[in-house]
Amino acid sequence: MDNENVIEIKNLTAGFDGRTVLYDISLEVKRNEIFVILGSSGGGKTTLLKHIIGLLRPEKGSISIFGKNTLEMEVDEFESILKRIGMLFQGGALLNSMEVWENIAIPLEQHTDLENEVIHRIIRQKLSLVNLRDAYYLLPSELSGGMKKRVSLARAIVMDPEILFFDEPTAGLDPITSADLDKLILDLKKKLGITLVIVTHELESIKRIADRIIYLQKGKNIFCGTIEEAKKAGIEEIDRFFGWNKD
Amino acid sequence: MIKKTDINTLKVTGDFSNDMISEFKKHYNDLKKKSVKPVIDLSEVEHAGTLAVAFLEFISRNKKIEIRTGESLRSEIDKFASESGYGNSEAKLSFLDRTVVTVSDFFKELVSFTVLSADIFYYSIGSVFNSSGRRKGSVFEQMLLMGNNAVPIVALLSFLIGLVLSLQSAAQLKQFGANIYIVDLIVIGMILEMGPILTSVIIAGRTGSAIAAEISTMKITEELDALKVMALNPLKYVVAPKMLSLTVCLPILTILSNLVGILGGFVIGILYLDLSFDMFFNRTIEVMTLYFWWQSMLKSVLFSWLIVLIGAHFGFKVKGGSEAVGKAATSSVVAAIFAIIMTDAVLSLIFYFEW
Ligand SMILES: Nc1ncnc2c1ncn2[C@@H]1O[C@H](COP(=O)(O)OP(=O)(O)O)[C@@H](O)[C@H]1O
Ligand SMILES: [Mg+2]
Repeated sequence: MDNENVIEIKNLTAGFDGRTVLYDISLEVKRNEIFVILGSSGGGKTTLLKHIIGLLRPEKGSISIFGKNTLEMEVDEFESILKRIGMLFQGGALLNSMEVWENIAIPLEQHTDLENEVIHRIIRQKLSLVNLRDAYYLLPSELSGGMKKRVSLARAIVMDPEILFFDEPTAGLDPITSADLDKLILDLKKKLGITLVIVTHELESIKRIADRIIYLQKGKNIFCGTIEEAKKAGIEEIDRFFGWNKD
Repeated sequence: MIKKTDINTLKVTGDFSNDMISEFKKHYNDLKKKSVKPVIDLSEVEHAGTLAVAFLEFISRNKKIEIRTGESLRSEIDKFASESGYGNSEAKLSFLDRTVVTVSDFFKELVSFTVLSADIFYYSIGSVFNSSGRRKGSVFEQMLLMGNNAVPIVALLSFLIGLVLSLQSAAQLKQFGANIYIVDLIVIGMILEMGPILTSVIIAGRTGSAIAAEISTMKITEELDALKVMALNPLKYVVAPKMLSLTVCLPILTILSNLVGILGGFVIGILYLDLSFDMFFNRTIEVMTLYFWWQSMLKSVLFSWLIVLIGAHFGFKVKGGSEAVGKAATSSVVAAIFAIIMTDAVLSLIFYFEW
């Protein structure tokens, strides 16, 4: 069971208005691993994530989640897949007109028929998990960047997803906050047994948390494997990224 | 230092900082006017700001002017030229091509509007029978926001319009001793035209723009994407409650507007045309038919849909940053008022000639 592929992408080519942004990407993500997407800014990392979660449709290729091709699915079937995954957007993407608790309540109210009392307790528990007990009634505009990301994380995990996607969870945060967030991510993986797909630039976090990485250079997959394998591969761009000297 | 050394020559020495550009420009324009063979001597410039370099690169493209520079400034200008000269920012299209592009853009937009409208109808109708995928209490909340809060402004403006409309006509009617017909005029005028139009124009400005602004903001901040990932349909979650609520609120506001407008006419009839309460009231009952009300309600329901659909269309199609939100709101109001008046004209013609 542990070696099952939860995500499988084959020969994905995609772009915007005829401008190709991803070229022939293939990759697998195994259950219970932390898979990190690396690459220079504008390399297509966010675009890749948005294709996996179905916000964008590719020109070519196939995408399977939990062993089923998502591109050939009916809306209902895809929504049942979506209910098993969570996503943390680059900017948090909290609904600005709603208070913190209401944001976290959205999936609970829409996809379960739990009593309000239970919903409130669940929200409190998730908020204390991300260390934000006092933010319950605040509006997103009253939160700092790191707090927004943590609320967004609480919202993403509230339905016990099997796969969690992160787009640059620690970008723009101070080193202490981002180390805390890393710890939180590792905790989540251990406690909940979640598969994580993370876009990040933070060298420290990558070394701390990554099981396997993919490196996108201008939309092309130039490496996919573990960090040890990356070290041995001797690819110049990756050596420069990690600061490994060649001599 | 900028100096004119002779009638043909402008010389800059020392530092050419960015804030010297405007002074330099004055001298430079002067030189261009007065001299047949202008020379700009920059050979003694020691250091130039990046903006100054950019400006020098710009004027150095004018081949009529001789520019003397030292080695390092020349290479800076060349470097700027090569680093900034990629791509042509605006491809120039001929008038005909531009027209074709504009027309085809318009039709593309019309198609996307139609598709969006069909989707919104589909989900809104579904939403009437099944509230899943919609926020609890959202329709009621929207009704308060769109309907209840608009009551004072709709009532006030309708009263004033009814009042002045009657006043302006009263003098003419008085000449012929046709005072009582003020009732026909104001009842028909308000119910068939002014009520529905006035109300929906006010609501287009209030609610239509708010819908466009809200949806476009949600798109830019990825809130719509976040909803989709939570397996929620933004059309159902965000738009359907607005659609349902305005479909109910606008007709109610229109009824209010009609009645208050007639009240305005009543005030003029009593105070200026010497009608009695009974006369006015009885004539009103005679003139006001159910058929008029039916037309009025039909119009206001159609207008409410136009307002929501157009607001949503401009909201969803937004691209870019926060400045695009304002544009979406403005365009939605202009487009909605346009669509409302066009639709009204068509409907009025159809009803009047009973096609
Ligand atoms: N909505 C969009 N429309 C057009 N081009 C886009 C859009 N989103 C991203 N791009 C382009 O796709 C490329 C990859 O972007 P992105 O995936 O955001 O990069 P990354 O997340 O790796 O920094 C960039 O060149 C960017 O300009
Ligand atoms: Mg990105």
